[in-house]
Amino acid sequence: MEEELKKIQQEAVEKFQNVLDKKMLADLKVYFLGKSGRLTAVLKGMRDVPNQDKPRLGAMVNEVRALVEKMVFDAEEKFAQKELEEKLQNEKVDISLPSKGVKKGALHPVTSMTDRLVDICVNLGFTVVDGPEIESDYYNFEAVNTPKSHPARDMQDSFYFSENILLRTQTTAVQARAMEQIKPPFKIVVPGKTYRNDSDATHSPMFNQLEGLVVDENVSMADLKNMLSIMMKRLFGEDTMIRFRPSYFPFTEPSIEVDVSCPQCHGKGCKLCKNTGYLELLGAGVVNPKVLDYNGIDSKKYKGFAFGIGIDRASMLFTNNTDMRSLFKNDVRFLKQSR
Amino acid sequence: MKVTYNWLKEYVNIALSPKELAQKLTKSGFEVEEIVFQDEFLHDVVVGKILKIEKHPQADRLVVCQVDIGQSTTQIITAATNVFEGAVVPVSLPGANLVNGIKIQPTKMRGVESNGMFCSGQELGIDENYFEGAGVDGILILPNDMKIGLPISKALMLDDVMLDIYVTPNRPDCLSVIGLAREVAAILGEQVKKVNLNYPIDIYSKDTIHDYISLNNLTDNCPRYCMGAVTNVKIERSPLWMRARLNAVGIKPINTIVDITNYVLVEMGQPLHAFDQSLIEGKEINVRQALNGEKIEVLNGFSYELNENDIVIADKDKPMVIAGIIGGTNSCINSQTKTVAIESAVFDLKSIRTTSRKFGIRTDSSARNEKGINLANAEIGLSRALCLVSKLDCGKIVRGIIDKSKGQNPSRKIVGSVMEINKILGVFIPEKVMSSLLLSLGIENKIIGDKIECIIPPYREDIENNNDLAEEIIRLYGYDVYEKSEGKLFENSAVTESVVNVRYNLERTYRNMLVDYGFFEIMTFTFGGNDFVKKLLLTDERSCPIKISNPLGENFAYMRTTMLSSLLQTATYNLSVGNKEMRLFECGKVYLSDEQPLVNLPNEINMTAMFVSEDGFDFFMLKNIIENLLSAKGEITISRSNEPYLHPGISADVYVGEQKVGHFGKLHPSVIKNYELPSNSYYAELNSSVLTQIKDKKLELKQVSKYPNVARDLAVVVDENVEAGQMLESIKSSCGKLYFDSSLFDVYRSEALGENKKSLAFNIVLSDENKTLTDDDIGKVMKKVLKALEYKFGAVLR
Repeated sequence: MEEELKKIQQEAVEKFQNVLDKKMLADLKVYFLGKSGRLTAVLKGMRDVPNQDKPRLGAMVNEVRALVEKMVFDAEEKFAQKELEEKLQNEKVDISLPSKGVKKGALHPVTSMTDRLVDICVNLGFTVVDGPEIESDYYNFEAVNTPKSHPARDMQDSFYFSENILLRTQTTAVQARAMEQIKPPFKIVVPGKTYRNDSDATHSPMFNQLEGLVVDENVSMADLKNMLSIMMKRLFGEDTMIRFRPSYFPFTEPSIEVDVSCPQCHGKGCKLCKNTGYLELLGAGVVNPKVLDYNGIDSKKYKGFAFGIGIDRASMLFTNNTDMRSLFKNDVRFLKQSR
Repeated sequence: MKVTYNWLKEYVNIALSPKELAQKLTKSGFEVEEIVFQDEFLHDVVVGKILKIEKHPQADRLVVCQVDIGQSTTQIITAATNVFEGAVVPVSLPGANLVNGIKIQPTKMRGVESNGMFCSGQELGIDENYFEGAGVDGILILPNDMKIGLPISKALMLDDVMLDIYVTPNRPDCLSVIGLAREVAAILGEQVKKVNLNYPIDIYSKDTIHDYISLNNLTDNCPRYCMGAVTNVKIERSPLWMRARLNAVGIKPINTIVDITNYVLVEMGQPLHAFDQSLIEGKEINVRQALNGEKIEVLNGFSYELNENDIVIADKDKPMVIAGIIGGTNSCINSQTKTVAIESAVFDLKSIRTTSRKFGIRTDSSARNEKGINLANAEIGLSRALCLVSKLDCGKIVRGIIDKSKGQNPSRKIVGSVMEINKILGVFIPEKVMSSLLLSLGIENKIIGDKIECIIPPYREDIENNNDLAEEIIRLYGYDVYEKSEGKLFENSAVTESVVNVRYNLERTYRNMLVDYGFFEIMTFTFGGNDFVKKLLLTDERSCPIKISNPLGENFAYMRTTMLSSLLQTATYNLSVGNKEMRLFECGKVYLSDEQPLVNLPNEINMTAMFVSEDGFDFFMLKNIIENLLSAKGEITISRSNEPYLHPGISADVYVGEQKVGHFGKLHPSVIKNYELPSNSYYAELNSSVLTQIKDKKLELKQVSKYPNVARDLAVVVDENVEAGQMLESIKSSCGKLYFDSSLFDVYRSEALGENKKSLAFNIVLSDENKTLTDDDIGKVMKKVLKALEYKFGAVLR
């Protein structure tokens, strides 16, 4: 019997080494372990073995059986693995084919710039305020220190509906409304559409402004500088610099134009900034005390500063877009680029 | 405001180059928008004298000239026919680069050397008005006494530099050479030189101004009126230096008197008007309001009908000038003029502005008059004009002037605070520096403790308070000071809380969601033509768009009453450029009012509007988008819509609770036809203004059953007109507590079912919190569901 077991073991090792396919494996399994298999036959023969030999021979049988089972298992694993590999090979797709499903669209460059600016302002504690686009002469002009005969009205040719109702020429109109309602200290920002009777390559009759107003007891031109500096850094990057130039707006005194270092060349001078290194981007200033008083805020106690930015222009700078008209044409081929 | 570098130098010492000066001016608030070097295209052009002219050996039409150009002689070939031996002419030499693009190089013409070119007036950029002979078709023949070899820019006084300076509306005093000279002096720390206002009167005549003119009437709208008279006037070309200055600032030289008025306008910022005194009927001047219906023909060639709001200068019979704006043809200076009356006045700026706007006439005079001129300037302007008359020796000045003024604006005293000024600026500027900066602007001041007492000159009406003083100080001190300062953010202000803007956030959410659904956001003009009313079949309040009274054109005159018009205009444009498939949306406003013209502000409503034109897109895909946009608001219901521009059978209104929040569906076939759109076009709009008012649903997360859901399918046959939505409602109520979800998964029609019948297949999901449902439990519920469908909808189990 011992001889027989050794033979079986040897035979099994040889045979399993040469298994070629699953069919052969199944046959071998039956041949060794099946009902009338070689090992089953030996097991049956155990009945005739003298008792004192039984433990030793029994252990031997089990050992050989475990060995054969292990070989069956390994071979099965090998074939399963091979099959899986074949399957994976066959299931390969051309990954360069286009994706399926709805392709995303895109935000408009102007509103996406508005969102950026609003996020910056909101993070600095500003509240976003809305107001009407069709506005009274009072809020658009009178309340912000631009009475009827004021020469500054020349700067802004307006679209009128009737003598005292017009399309707002500046989001400043909303600031006057806000000052009537909100008690200082406050910080508000007004994004929105504005209109001027003016149309050429660099002027659109409808354009977008964002204006901010801060009213508090001790704010100054220097605070305006610090704030705008941070805002522009967040918009155009940490190395952005700003500089002030004197200007005039009826709403503010002193009034300034704010130049921002060219985002393209970082102040070195390039085509975009016409070699000046800077681009004119904002108007700003200390709120004229007359405006505060006119709108019910005590100018002896409070000061304010304000800034305004052309969103369309900021968007154009941000995206290196050279034609303002492209913004309102809404050609899908143009818009797709923002995807 | 155009001035010249030399003109400024006449009144202030300037050691800087024109470019350096421009930088300084810009930094102090007077942006120099353009610098023009008049001699830019005149280098290597000199005065030459033709010594000898010979025929060209090879060409009949050419002549060979020997030309004296000062240091040497040179040979030049020309085809010009108006040259002669001894003629003094402009000669462009090799290296010259003329205004018309011609570059001069030594060349050979038919084998003979030519080292330059004679120039016409046009080639030098000048015309007959500027220089006699410059307008002829040929070479400019210069006066014989010109120095040979002199650069032509010197000889023709074309060596000045024009600076075009943007003067902000608060500084009308700087719409003049003298005003800007004051600024330049302040910037450079120099003194402004005095303007020569002296003139000799005709001592040989006993006549006084009253023998020539009497001022009878003076409207309240003319606070100051001055007039002088000049006899024995010589109407001729003014001297070259005067023509050169006018030409440099873009004013055409005409004759002595007209040039003097223009010169004073630019130099002193004082508009003048010169009358031919012999044409003033009754020798009387009436500065009055026009009569209603009175007519005047003016120098721009048009006639205008005036009314009582316009100011005129009239004689006994007729209006002669629309005051402060433009002169009439009936009394202007002409070649026969012998005696001149020169007016220098200040008019009410509002009145000038109104009249100028009404007639659409803008002149150099009106531009200054409507911004305000200080009263003192009227007399100064007249004196300067008379001084120039004597300088040009073009007439005899009559003794005395007329000068009537109503009120005056003297120097004002204002008291500022040094501390307050520094607080406004947020930087520290020592009081002594403040004082000297203000003084440099002509503001006499005294510092007493914190107080700074300032005497504001009459021409600075814009300075009223600490902020104004702060601006004057900082713009001269230099804004560079802020470039160095690096303070902390809001170090001097309170923390403020950012209040949520619900409308903005709502639209922003929608915008981002729609982008994920493949939509492109657009931004359109809120005004357009009014053809959309008809094309969209509108009949309600949206059919009366608000009209702009001064639009860019009829196609930009009406405020939109629906977003659809804007979206379809954009769609049409995209189709025209070959963009066939598109999903577009816009968040914007529509404008509604029931009154026109507007008395009250109209209703502005925020809308989020979508347009889809795409093969394979359908109502239910759009419905899905709407449902998902609105999911934050809670339960929504829909009902059939009767929007005129939507397909009546394939459209719906959508409600959150009782509140209608929008509508969506396929576009009406007539609208599709009117706009030539693809037939499969859809529109949806959500009223963001209304939705802003509706709170988001309160989110409550209930525990779900730990037992598994069970699902059953149920197919029933019903009449065609039964709506699946109502059946789903019925299923839900029949299931009671066990209901978890239900959906329609198949609609089937066939001949076997019969005409007007359809089979609907529902998937019903049940769940129990406390146990696994048995077949028995489920059977009971399904029976109940079927019974209800049979009873309510005549459904038959399939």
